[in-house]
Amino acid sequence: MRTKLMAVALGALGLFGSCAPAFAHHGNAAYDYEKTVVVKGVVTGYIWANPHVYLKVDAKDESGNVQHWLIEAQNPVAQANAGWSKSTFKPGDQVDLDVMPTKNGQPIGRFRNRIVINGEVFKGPGPR
Amino acid sequence: MSNRLMISAITWVGILLFVPVLFGQSAAPTSTEPHEKWNDVVPLNKSAYAGKKSGPAPKRDLSGVWDGTAEGGGAYEGAREYPEDGKPGHEPPYTPLGEQVLKTHKPGVGVRGVAVEIGNDPVNICDPQGFPRMELYELRTIEIAQTANQVLYLDQFNDNWRIIWTDGRELPKDPEPRWNGYSSGKWIDDYTFVAETVGMDDRTWLDNSGRPHSSDLRVEERFHRVSDDILELTVTIDDPQMYTKPWVAIDKIPLHRQPKGFDMREMTCAPSETLDYNSQIGARTATGGDWKGR
Repeated sequence: MRTKLMAVALGALGLFGSCAPAFAHHGNAAYDYEKTVVVKGVVTGYIWANPHVYLKVDAKDESGNVQHWLIEAQNPVAQANAGWSKSTFKPGDQVDLDVMPTKNGQPIGRFRNRIVINGEVFKGPGPR
Repeated sequence: MSNRLMISAITWVGILLFVPVLFGQSAAPTSTEPHEKWNDVVPLNKSAYAGKKSGPAPKRDLSGVWDGTAEGGGAYEGAREYPEDGKPGHEPPYTPLGEQVLKTHKPGVGVRGVAVEIGNDPVNICDPQGFPRMELYELRTIEIAQTANQVLYLDQFNDNWRIIWTDGRELPKDPEPRWNGYSSGKWIDDYTFVAETVGMDDRTWLDNSGRPHSSDLRVEERFHRVSDDILELTVTIDDPQMYTKPWVAIDKIPLHRQPKGFDMREMTCAPSETLDYNSQIGARTATGGDWKGR
């Protein structure tokens, strides 16, 4: 099952991997476009608001310590056009995400296109 | 019925018939396309419009909901034809003053981009982006309506609106600054409407990469109705204080007409939401630097 899920996830990554970077209204200078980190954890909050939608995820780091991640997308209009809604995530969801991290090492990032929610690959395109 | 009553009735009918003429209004048009949805969405890719047959362009008519999302209307790194990506030919023709003012603007994008927290983009604190940044930055979904003497331009991004007067009035000579300026326009042929705008507040930026403008900025918008389904827009920047010559910031971007009844989703820049975002994310992504913004 896990292998299958990984294959689907990698397929999705390949499908969207060639897309242009997800530019943001408020700036992209703080993010490292060259890096991708995988964040696996539990959703603790989902803020569907301007200027940017963002997700709160508790995920363990390599040492087993819980990191409180904040992962941003774009504004609700752009996300709705991309197939998201105010109920795409809910607290308690298990998520597995590819994330573009910040340059300063904070547990903050930007969605890339591989999004798995409770074991299901989210089919809506990633942030634009 | 008495004669007095008959005269009174005829008078009221006359008044009711005359009022719309007096105010230059025609009867509200009705849509023949049923539409049940709210919060409509637009296609992200222009392939959604490929192969679609369109009727001929109606004469002197810009009305409808138009969208530039699929054509790259969201120009995050600066004006569509001049992104601030460091590539040759993408730098507008700055005057020395233009270069000087540019250096004081710290955007979050482009080759000069800094983290939100140490930048000074007015939009980061919900200040109005103003005109023409609303077109040079986020030309996504707009609705255009026409009255007898106005073109009404309703922009989804930040729930912004403009009035372009079509009654022939001249632009003001020494205007009190406005975020969106003063606009006057006319049809130069049955399918091309040209609007001129002056009087923009020079606290605003021209685009998302912080290109400057002065109070002398003059913007020309050229709307060309190519067909029933496509409206082409060209935007030219003319500001002798900041640029040595006029430059075309948007060159014939095709805007696609959305179905009648399209319900634009609200998009308000709420200061409390922005404060939350800036404290939760913006402040914590700052990477430092020797320049400190507001």
